[in-house]
Amino acid sequence: MSRDFDLEALREDWQAEDSIPPRLRRDVERQSRSMKISLAGDILVTVAIGGGMTARALLSSEKGGGWLALGAWIFIAAAWAFVLIVNRELWAPSAMDAAAFVDLSIRRCEASLGATWFAATLFVAEAIFVLSWVYVHADLHESVGKWLWFSSVRIDIVWTATLAFVAGLFWFRNKKKRELARLLDLRKRMEEADEPADPSAKGTNADRV
Amino acid sequence: MDRAGLKEQFERILAEHGPALSRLAASYTNTRSDRDDLLQETAFAIWQALPKFRGECSQRTFIFRIAHNRAIAYLSRHREQRTDPLEEVEVRDPGTGPDAHYSQNQRAANLQRAVRGLPLPYRQVIQLTLEGLGYREIAAVLGISEGNVGARLTRARQLLQDAMEKQI
Repeated sequence: MSRDFDLEALREDWQAEDSIPPRLRRDVERQSRSMKISLAGDILVTVAIGGGMTARALLSSEKGGGWLALGAWIFIAAAWAFVLIVNRELWAPSAMDAAAFVDLSIRRCEASLGATWFAATLFVAEAIFVLSWVYVHADLHESVGKWLWFSSVRIDIVWTATLAFVAGLFWFRNKKKRELARLLDLRKRMEEADEPADPSAKGTNADRV
Repeated sequence: MDRAGLKEQFERILAEHGPALSRLAASYTNTRSDRDDLLQETAFAIWQALPKFRGECSQRTFIFRIAHNRAIAYLSRHREQRTDPLEEVEVRDPGTGPDAHYSQNQRAANLQRAVRGLPLPYRQVIQLTLEGLGYREIAAVLGISEGNVGARLTRARQLLQDAMEKQI
């Protein structure tokens, strides 16, 4: 019997059939690691910002410190609600095959794209809240417009951070969009390859049971 | 064994034998959704049978026996969805794989298709052989003699070779 029909070679081919493409597996594992790191980051931010603001409100006699802490906790709660809802069923593939891995990658991509909108909204809301709080409590005597127009180093930092955030968000969205398009194309081609070759031949097989 | 222990054992079985059960299900079905249905039925049957497993045979034999019984029951219910006869086995274009990996796996897809086209007695024996089971285990899974396994396997290899040569 030729080498091509060697049972060992056939066995290797057979058992490779359902294997997951290494690149896909690596991507999914990398995404899972990123999700865990991101979750750890969220916990850290919660403790640092939420705890810091609460401590500051309790320990200092600053006017309106309580409102600032309350606002911080509302934003943190909103962010946690979003993260927990969006990350549901995104932690692991539903099965150990290529289709499930592709499906998970697609859902993660879609979640990331949704998260960019949420992040942008949250950023704007937080910026408005914090700037309003600072303006009200800083006892400033200039108009809001004048104050916001690069009037101090702190305002410069806010605008620089905003610009960096917007640029990062656009870069991330474009990256995820390209990734999503590639994955959707991959899934489509897998589904096409999975369809019966000749549906009209159904039922033509003799009873072999 | 308590329910938690059973659940743990069941999950271990699925982790260990899941890919093999999936390949087996794919050999009896034409589409991914049908395969998933059969796989789900098999997993449910294993879950139901697990408390009765007393170790009279190896766990692998036990799992494959259940899987084959479910597959045959499935075939009986879906007679209209029989696979194509050997002569009609169509080869996928090696260049149409959705990714480089899938092109590399073209041989595997062709093999799967050729196995699917074999008559049931030969299909069963070749599948179990390709999963790495020995004559004794195959005999235990299918409830036939080892001699019968050998005879079927010889014929199955001939049929499979013919089918794959036709694909080229």
